[in-house]
Amino acid sequence: MLNKTLRLLASTSIVAMMVAGAAQADIKVGVLVPDSGPAGLFGPSTRNAAELAAQVINAGGGIKGEQIELVFADVGVPPAEAAQAALRLWKGEGVQAFVGMHDSAVREALLGRFNGEVPFVYTPVYEGGACADGLYVTGETPSQQLAPVIPYLMDAEKVSKWYLIGHDYNWPRDTNALAKGYIGEAGGEVVGEEYLPFSVAEFDSSLQRIKESGADAVLITLVGGGSVGFNVSFAGFGMDKQAIRLGTLIEENTLAGIGADNTKRLFSTSGYFSSIEGEAAATFAADYAAAFGADAPALNTLGQSSYEGLMLLDALAEKAGSLDVAAMDAAAEGLTWATPRGDNTLTGRHMAQTIYLADGSSGAFEVVTSFANVASSEACAN
Amino acid sequence: MTVLILNLIWQISTLAMVALGLAIVFGKLRIMNMAHGEFVMIGAYAPIITSNLGLPMWLQLPVCIVTVALVALLFERVIIRHLYGRMFDSLLATWGIAILLREVVELLFGRGYQSVSVPIPGTVDVLGAQYPLYRIVVVAVILVGFAALAWWNRRSKVATQIKAMVGNPELAQAVGINTGRLSAAAFVFGCCTAGVAGLLLAPTIRIEPVMGIDYLIRSFFALVVGGLGSLEGLGLGVTLIAGTQSVIGAFASQTYGYLAVLTLSILFLWLKPDGIRSSSR
Repeated sequence: MLNKTLRLLASTSIVAMMVAGAAQADIKVGVLVPDSGPAGLFGPSTRNAAELAAQVINAGGGIKGEQIELVFADVGVPPAEAAQAALRLWKGEGVQAFVGMHDSAVREALLGRFNGEVPFVYTPVYEGGACADGLYVTGETPSQQLAPVIPYLMDAEKVSKWYLIGHDYNWPRDTNALAKGYIGEAGGEVVGEEYLPFSVAEFDSSLQRIKESGADAVLITLVGGGSVGFNVSFAGFGMDKQAIRLGTLIEENTLAGIGADNTKRLFSTSGYFSSIEGEAAATFAADYAAAFGADAPALNTLGQSSYEGLMLLDALAEKAGSLDVAAMDAAAEGLTWATPRGDNTLTGRHMAQTIYLADGSSGAFEVVTSFANVASSEACAN
Repeated sequence: MTVLILNLIWQISTLAMVALGLAIVFGKLRIMNMAHGEFVMIGAYAPIITSNLGLPMWLQLPVCIVTVALVALLFERVIIRHLYGRMFDSLLATWGIAILLREVVELLFGRGYQSVSVPIPGTVDVLGAQYPLYRIVVVAVILVGFAALAWWNRRSKVATQIKAMVGNPELAQAVGINTGRLSAAAFVFGCCTAGVAGLLLAPTIRIEPVMGIDYLIRSFFALVVGGLGSLEGLGLGVTLIAGTQSVIGAFASQTYGYLAVLTLSILFLWLKPDGIRSSSR
């Protein structure tokens, strides 16, 4: 009952905020979040982080002196539906810029509709190489996550034989294509490579192959539930003694699902962890807790990325002097700004950023080291 | 090789445990229970419920059975009992129940993943291969459970009574079978075995509100292949389905393993829709 009352109160206050916002808002920004579908887990924290960014931007005078109002749409749906929802915001509600946290299929569908006529910031971890007009990327690409981290781990953990395992689609395959180069350059070798369909929920035969390969390091590009199931079985077989694990999308929720018993020698590389230190990150975490309560949906690199996206939009619009795509494209290269992640630079319309390597052994991420200003090799030519 | 055989035994016995409840509810009561996987899911959440209630770990099994039984009994009395003999209607109704259960669990525990500690950690040496001790204990528990069930099934008249009840409810009542109580008991028992399967598997799998669908699909495949209505059919079905995935997954790739399972299921539905064994027709 209490819960119901709270929900009612919350929805009433959101409506009140929307009404109040509509009265004074000058710039509407469309924020595309997954409320449903496989990434639906990250919807609530993505929304919260975006709200927090809007508060910070508005408190600082808005974009070019005009207050911003966020308009959300659910893009955890098939690409065509997501494009329709975005189109409604753009043409129907007069949204002037978009920030999106969704998969690549949805991004391509959106770009087909936007056609370079509206600025669009894409924020999640992704495979790289998206270079449409008006598109700016804050998410980590495989080269950023791996180029500094693989040599570091090979040296620090004294490992050299890598087994690559991922789900069967382009992000894991693109990631591993790059990883092979970094492993080779650092004097290691790849002893196995495997891609699993999303429908597979047992990993016994893959674990057996890893065991027989003699690998002492495993690069994991399985996502979500597959990553949880794989890592639980991996530790269950005592394989954590044989090999370290490195994941490029093992965020806080996935780690919690794997459980502290099963995370020994499990590393993750990302542009953000809720446990990163530094003044900006600490302020951000404190503001988040103050705004949404101690029980708020936990932050991770995906949820937090919408904050990054809005901050980039703000910095870029300020430098360009408008939300016009041509002006923003002209101003994009070399733009620098600071966020909870650290100091960022826009190069090739991708975000050069600090990359953190964290150890999940204790069941929570502890940052081992960080690499400042890592640029993406999958960025754009212009 | 040893590990392959042990994996095979693990996959087959856990699938048998998961599919048992569906074999009873679908095979005997003719309720196409689309919420079967959700009872596995609730069972997997039992350790989390137990620790949230501040109860000691050894109460996980009672908590699991009580929770699943209460939920199953509620739905049996309110919805399912009106649907005996109406298989398609039962499919739609239980699909709705499945969605409802997922939403309730999400409301209570959140959408995120949960984790359950292995009660018996470590690995043991089996003929030179390191194998998780917990898995070996679970396999032993399942084997004992099935042996007991087979023994009871042979001696008791309940299976015959259920068959009579489903075939001709009025006649069954006339000869003194309390059909209401019998069907409720069979439904709740079937759901409870699914819950216990979830509890046993919990430390070895991912746990989230939407996890049930995997278990429903694999159970359904096993029943399609094995045939409805007998323990032997269930055994054959789970052996073929779990065995195909394990063996082809080990020697070729997981993709081919899954492809083979789908092909096998489609061939059976097409050419032998009653499965290998079917005692109830």
